[in-house]
Amino acid sequence: MTDARKLKSDKLSEADAIERAKLGDPLAFEALYNLHKRRVYSLCLRMTANTAAAEDLTQEAFLQLFRKIGTFRGESAFSTWLHRMAVNVVLMQLRKKNLPVVPIDETLETEEDAPKKELGGLDLNLAGSIDRMQLQRVIEALPPGYRTIFVLHDVEGYEHNEIADMVGCSIGNSKSQLHKARMKLRELLKTSRAEKAAKP
Amino acid sequence: MTCAEFEQALPDASEGNREFEHEQHLRSCSACRSLVADLNAISQQARALQDCGDPSPRVWNSIEIALTREGIIRQPSRGELASVHRFPSRWSSAWLLPVAAALLVTAGVVRYERGPGQRVMPNAPTTTAQVASMRPEPSPDDRQLIESVALRSPAMKASYEANLQDVNSYIRDAEQSVKNNPNDEAAQQYLSNAYEQREMVYEMAEERSLP
Repeated sequence: MTDARKLKSDKLSEADAIERAKLGDPLAFEALYNLHKRRVYSLCLRMTANTAAAEDLTQEAFLQLFRKIGTFRGESAFSTWLHRMAVNVVLMQLRKKNLPVVPIDETLETEEDAPKKELGGLDLNLAGSIDRMQLQRVIEALPPGYRTIFVLHDVEGYEHNEIADMVGCSIGNSKSQLHKARMKLRELLKTSRAEKAAKP
Repeated sequence: MTCAEFEQALPDASEGNREFEHEQHLRSCSACRSLVADLNAISQQARALQDCGDPSPRVWNSIEIALTREGIIRQPSRGELASVHRFPSRWSSAWLLPVAAALLVTAGVVRYERGPGQRVMPNAPTTTAQVASMRPEPSPDDRQLIESVALRSPAMKASYEANLQDVNSYIRDAEQSVKNNPNDEAAQQYLSNAYEQREMVYEMAEERSLP
């Protein structure tokens, strides 16, 4: 997932940096930050669609992590621990703003958030015709619960078992929410396209 | 299989893992084929969104300031710095051995035994009693090592002897530090590194490539 996992040398450096950070070594903290900043920032940006907010949340996620680094015992991967913290920070922020946070639970889904079962009359194939800006816009329109799972899986590349661990849901729930997120995005993309096509 | 049943099974089905009847339905139903193609397109395009660059430098600056203010980031003491930076917890003896060997050779050239007409190192102990009090007695293992070095390379014996004594003195200091501060992780790391240094001296002595 992260560079630290892909390369053995990076993984070794991360372990050393963690031990040194526990002793207060400023270079070790900076090394850990540089190793993971991009992934955390990407996650925050995709969830908030706002650069300033994403930076604030990135900062907060790392601060919370570094304050607790003395308690890290290596039971899970460091990156998983960090990203779990980042997800929590983002969701808490969204709750503070009173944005409706769809719980990661199938039974509490609202009718409005749920993807429509049929897109009758819309005959617009998406394959090969989605651009990044368009996709980013509709991701922003997703309910936060769907957005979290979609961003973690399809954008950031986490597996369902990792997402379940980070978010605190079951693997089945993660798969279900992902499917609904994709269905909702499909609906939003097609609706947007139909509206554009209908304009004179 | 109906379209509703097919869609219900979609969350659990991945491309290489569809059941036979799902594949059959997909072949026969253009609407579901279009649905799957759309969902795959969304998923694939999403991956392109991953790289959105780095946050601005102010993020790290703010983190550093906050952690320093809270005392979580702190300038390590000289002892901690030595244990963390000079003696990293993992290092390969493969590249350090030749470097350490060069240092030992240099130490052997610089050190002079006390004797008439020979230079004495500045601040060096001037009496045998002072020397003895500063350096711990060599252990039986140390004596054996020194004897084996003396057999292969008599010229290096004094250097190894002096270095072993220095390392043992370092271990003694580190042990005292841990005894005084049993909960101090830095002191424990310091001691661990001291033992590693001693191990390194032993490895060097056993290394056949040394003269």
